[in-house]
Amino acid sequence: MADTSTKSASFWAEHRLWIIIASILILLPPLSFLFQFTQDSNFCGSWCPRMFFSWRKGQAASDFFLGFARSYMGVTLVLGVLASTFFLGRYWCSHLCPVGGTMETGSRIVPKWLKINFSAIPAPPVRYGYFAVYMLAPAVGLGSLCCNYCNFATVPRMFGAAFFNGADFAYFLRTAGLINLGLIVVFGFLAKGGRAYCNFMCPIGAMDSLSNRLGLKFGRRMNVDQSKCNSCGACSRVCPTWAIEIKDKAAIDHYSCMPCRKCEKACAKGAIAYGKTQG
Amino acid sequence: MTPKNIIVFIAAAAVSLAAANTRFGDSAHAIGVIKANGGSARHASHLDAGKDAYTLIATATVIPPYRGDARITLEGEPKLDCKLYSSGPVLDLGIRRHPVFREDTLFDLQPKDRIAIWAVIKPPAIDPVCGMAVKDDFVSEQHGGKSYRFCSDDCLNNFRLNPDKYKNNAAQGKYTLAFTDTATGKRVLDIPVLLGGKEGAGDGGHQH
Repeated sequence: MADTSTKSASFWAEHRLWIIIASILILLPPLSFLFQFTQDSNFCGSWCPRMFFSWRKGQAASDFFLGFARSYMGVTLVLGVLASTFFLGRYWCSHLCPVGGTMETGSRIVPKWLKINFSAIPAPPVRYGYFAVYMLAPAVGLGSLCCNYCNFATVPRMFGAAFFNGADFAYFLRTAGLINLGLIVVFGFLAKGGRAYCNFMCPIGAMDSLSNRLGLKFGRRMNVDQSKCNSCGACSRVCPTWAIEIKDKAAIDHYSCMPCRKCEKACAKGAIAYGKTQG
Repeated sequence: MTPKNIIVFIAAAAVSLAAANTRFGDSAHAIGVIKANGGSARHASHLDAGKDAYTLIATATVIPPYRGDARITLEGEPKLDCKLYSSGPVLDLGIRRHPVFREDTLFDLQPKDRIAIWAVIKPPAIDPVCGMAVKDDFVSEQHGGKSYRFCSDDCLNNFRLNPDKYKNNAAQGKYTLAFTDTATGKRVLDIPVLLGGKEGAGDGGHQH
């Protein structure tokens, strides 16, 4: 039974779009505000959150750990994201990530008739199928998904290229850059809710969703008050990660849920709220 | 886990594995160190011959005690068109000092600096038989809707005798993205760039 006593819509629920836009403006080009503290201009380099935990076949342990030192801000970011998710839910993904945030914000200006609804595809098996290959393929020498298909490389460069930055523009001259752009467009901007990329093929999202599930009993999450739910399905329809299934009542899949709190706002009965899970 | 989920998992893994295995021959990433007495890249960068354009990202860390200005050139024959861009911030907020990139030169490199240079490389048109870079006085020949140019009648005749052998040949060779200290003229980083050929490429049995 969930404690849904936290009923007043919080700052995080009411101002999510503006928080996302602020994150995009602060983190991505042209400002790249935080990155410039470390002589970087985007997520590549000290801030890379994706490469350090990928072990390549034949890589010496010293080289592997050197990767942690090279991307020390990325390591800090990922550990912070996983720890905060464990206790508070996936606020990084829903509110702060400028990469997912760009895709979702972009999808808001795409007309409905152009949108693709991916919700028929169960997200967790796609995500963990992708993530298994992400981790295992380089370890056994069968290629890598790491840099060639990187959302954290592509989205900042879209902003950089828009400001005529030559290096960022060059990224889209390569086949991999164009494929990434295509993936961002199809699974981000054109996706209903704008989060199919996050839901399917973000390795940080995959780890984060595991932390979300593991910390379910210890932290705060989106909860359904079964006594109030009338199974209308309004929450399910607005969920950008198609994490809510209506069985007898609404049921949230905490492998896919991020506390965007759209469901909370959509529920006329006030049956969904963010708070500590009990039981 | 339902059977549907298991099938979706396997399908996603299979597609991901195919994607992981796909190598794009038009781009590469080199990681190296800049050293006063000659730095090196961790490995050579391999590019497939026959593409219209290539991008190479060269990232490097400056090893103490080197400091200075380094000019970057792409050396090798036939000459490739190469434009260089530094991956600096769009708006420099001046929060932290960093090397300035201007006229293909990194100015004010200091110990522990990390640089990222993007090279956009375009190969020249070549005589597909001998591999020479095309010049104005070369003779041209149409084949399969494409125009080919040859340095001599010998090359043209060889092409006519066996066009399938030569028609896909493109510029190839061993190149070096060289970082040279402007004050001493010493190399501070060499990044090998191997523009790989297809079978039958090269001199085509015809030496100059």
